[in-house]
Amino acid sequence: MKWRNVLWVAVFTLPVIFILALGFGHDPHEVPSVLPGKLAPNCQLTDLQGKPTSIVAYRGKPVVINFWSTWCVPCEAEHGVLQQAAQNFGERAQFLGVVYQDEAQNAERYLKRKGSTYPQLIDPSSRCAIDYGVAGVPESFFVDPNGIVADKHVGPIGPADLARAVNSMLPRGTP
Amino acid sequence: MISLLGRGLILLALLAAAFGIVTGLVAGARKSEQGLHITRRAALVFAAAMILANLTMEYALFAHDFSVWYVTRVGSRSSPNWVTFVSLWSSLEGSILFWGAIIGGYIGLFALLYKERYQDYVAYALAVMLMVGGFFALILSAPADPFKPVFPVPSDGPGPNPLLQNHILMALHPPLLYLGYVGMTVPFAIAMAAVLRGKLSEGWLKPLRRWTLAPWLFLTVGIVLGGWWAYEVLGWGGYWAWDPVENASFLPWLAATGYLHSTVVHERRRVLKVWTLSLVIIAFLLTMLGTFMTRSGVFNSVHAFSQSEIGPIFLVFIGVMVLFSLGALAGRSHLLEPEGRFVAVVSRETAFLLNNLVLLTFTFTVLLGTVYPLITESFKGVKVSVGEPYFNKMALPLGLMLTFLMGIGPALPWGRSDAKALWKGLGFPVSMGLGVVGLGYLQGIHGGLSLTAFGLCAFAATITLRELLMPTVKRVLLHRETWVLAVVKSIWGSRRRFGGYLVHLAVIMVIAAIAASHGFKTQAESSLTPGQSLSIGAYTLTFEKLNFSEEPHRTTVAAQLRVQKNGDSLGTIAPAMNFYPTQREPVGTPDVRTFGAEDLYTSLMTFEQDGSRAAVKAFVNPLVSWIWWSLPLFIVGTLISLWPQRRARPAPTPKAALGAA
Amino acid sequence: MMSPTALLLAVLLQVGAPTPPEAQAQEAFTIGKMLRCPVCQGMPIAESPSPMAQDMMARVRSMLAEGQSREAILGYFVERYGEWVLLEPTAKGINWGLWILPGVALVVGLGFVARTFKRQKPIESAAAPTAANASDTLKAIRDEVEL
Repeated sequence: MKWRNVLWVAVFTLPVIFILALGFGHDPHEVPSVLPGKLAPNCQLTDLQGKPTSIVAYRGKPVVINFWSTWCVPCEAEHGVLQQAAQNFGERAQFLGVVYQDEAQNAERYLKRKGSTYPQLIDPSSRCAIDYGVAGVPESFFVDPNGIVADKHVGPIGPADLARAVNSMLPRGTP
Repeated sequence: MISLLGRGLILLALLAAAFGIVTGLVAGARKSEQGLHITRRAALVFAAAMILANLTMEYALFAHDFSVWYVTRVGSRSSPNWVTFVSLWSSLEGSILFWGAIIGGYIGLFALLYKERYQDYVAYALAVMLMVGGFFALILSAPADPFKPVFPVPSDGPGPNPLLQNHILMALHPPLLYLGYVGMTVPFAIAMAAVLRGKLSEGWLKPLRRWTLAPWLFLTVGIVLGGWWAYEVLGWGGYWAWDPVENASFLPWLAATGYLHSTVVHERRRVLKVWTLSLVIIAFLLTMLGTFMTRSGVFNSVHAFSQSEIGPIFLVFIGVMVLFSLGALAGRSHLLEPEGRFVAVVSRETAFLLNNLVLLTFTFTVLLGTVYPLITESFKGVKVSVGEPYFNKMALPLGLMLTFLMGIGPALPWGRSDAKALWKGLGFPVSMGLGVVGLGYLQGIHGGLSLTAFGLCAFAATITLRELLMPTVKRVLLHRETWVLAVVKSIWGSRRRFGGYLVHLAVIMVIAAIAASHGFKTQAESSLTPGQSLSIGAYTLTFEKLNFSEEPHRTTVAAQLRVQKNGDSLGTIAPAMNFYPTQREPVGTPDVRTFGAEDLYTSLMTFEQDGSRAAVKAFVNPLVSWIWWSLPLFIVGTLISLWPQRRARPAPTPKAALGAA
Repeated sequence: MMSPTALLLAVLLQVGAPTPPEAQAQEAFTIGKMLRCPVCQGMPIAESPSPMAQDMMARVRSMLAEGQSREAILGYFVERYGEWVLLEPTAKGINWGLWILPGVALVVGLGFVARTFKRQKPIESAAAPTAANASDTLKAIRDEVEL
């Protein structure tokens, strides 16, 4: 039994096994996030009442942009969290909702039921979603007062994470 | 009750396998006949237990017994019968159970066929097969137990994934693929028996070849049918996407094809013994890799089952098998020395060697591209995609090389070649190839790669046809035989050769089809109101109306389109979308019609509920039907090659003759 | 049954070179085949039926209509989705391995083939048939005749 040969086999094949093992723990479906650190794309959208809005208009304070849709189950879960946070932060931060891959009338009906404390924008042809590199809903983007994307959160967001993300964008010493 | 029965059977299988492994290895080492018989019995028990376990699960599915966990996952009272039948393999745990049935079937068949012969090897072979079978029984008994009892018992279930209910092919593609995939375990065990025994005798080569060729055929058919399914079911006009799991089925095919060629050289020249065995082993290891890829959750694939915990165990098993098989082979390679030698460089042997080289490079490349995203993500934290464009670019030169070799190989003689005779022999095929190139150019095909591909296909096809027809022609001309008799006799006289060349023709057909469909596909899409038309190539598609139909498990919306070509009506086509209550996204069913040598392929993208508008996408795909038509050639060629020879009877001894006098 | 050449001739007469569709639509399709649909399983946006992919294709078309180059459009998507969105990794940095290694494997393999030839035993020592393996040899001859 030539053990040296066995060693050669191990040397060549075990790295392949190792590489495959590297895959454990990574979600192959997750789309990478490259926007943080870059200038937030400016989307010109209209809200559900027909009023035109642009993201750039809110420069000067932190902005939370939340992409959601009525057919998305986790979005329903975080809806209340976002509404509450918007009320808590009041004038200090601006919350915006962007309706993704959905009809305006669906969104209107939904919001009539659940209420909304901040502007909800409709995104025809997913122009804004593509601009932000959105791959699914819900996704939330945190834009600092200078218009730079500070962070991106994929999936439904909890109150603690939300508060932390917004607070980190507020200037020091703000109550 | 069923849960108990199922789990009991799996446990029985596991115990039989464990027992058989031990007795098999011991019987092999000691060359014990009794040990062999015991091992055979254990193998048969394993086979019976696995098959019965599968039958039990089918019963549970048809009886809608929702106290069994797997039934709650894929069963549904509203599924049609055929869907219930195929739901056995539609989800992870069931697919592993089905895997067990197939390997049980193979092991049982092997044990039954080899009662008295090959006593040197069978015990070892069965032991190795039971190692693999036993591992699957192990997974089924704990981490992926489909027979888990469920309480409280639900009244209904979700049914299998709607994508799998769209087409009857779901009943064929997985079983055929499994028969190919799982089947590679048998030649693996045969090869390992040779390694463990320390010799590879003449006699043992035949089972090795047979038991590789049969799964190879199933794998080929499974892969082609999978391509057909992708083409007919998914609405994007393609038949192969280099999806990780598609690659997983292709990798063992490449290695097994390499073996089928290298064994010819081995039988001729008694060289490449270790290499030939390692190809069989690699083919099997790649099937294990593929099974891992589908079920580990590591790869992003259309085919991947949901994430599960069996990934790590599987990887450990693969690691163990790699070391055991390749390690044993490498460690004992000195016992399997070549007895002959290569004689000349310009020879058929070299063509075979180059064939192996290209096939293995292809295997390496596909493997590299598939696992590459894992490497970059783990080492650099960057996610990249390696998709169709990469694989197509890499496959192109390799495919061209293989086509060339399919031509030049049969044209070269064994051993030394005479340059003058060689040139003479090549004259006609080369001119055919160039002729096709010229013809193509005149027809407006100016792409160098397409022309090269078509030219090489013509070159290889000419040589292959000549090799197929030459013996018959000789018999008719020299022996004055009738054509029919000549054909039958020349096939019968050299079945392997004839079958092999038929398979080569099939491969050439596929390569030509791929070249044509990639280079000359046209597409068009448009949103149409009733009466509006979309034109593509010479075809005009006019939208007439939407048809709605309701079934218990789905709703189907089809767009009826009238097809005309150059003014002549060619009937109606109806691409459709299927809506399943359990899914948000609908599943499309394209309509594919073959007109002559091209396919008109249409799919429905979106529509208005009131029938006022339909967005339709259309493709004209040349020659794709050749891929499907190659299947009969593959099957006939392989069957001819597999047809058993008369078993050699010993010559009558002189004693008998004296006795008669 | 037609000979392969006649068959191919028939095909070529029908196939030929494609009638060029609107150049922009073709370019859009080409670019669409290079971009990965973020919500599908490894499919290019040009071939995916999902609405997100369709919207992305619309974006590609509108950018082409504005006169943007292929590089600019691809760069736009990479800016937002990362390298992941390209179905073919760019040939820079570690990605060189992906493009070079197959060729290297082929060359290395060729080297092995050459080595196999060189390292053989001389012709004299090839085994001569003995009585012990006579039946083996007979079988071998029979097999040789067959193939």
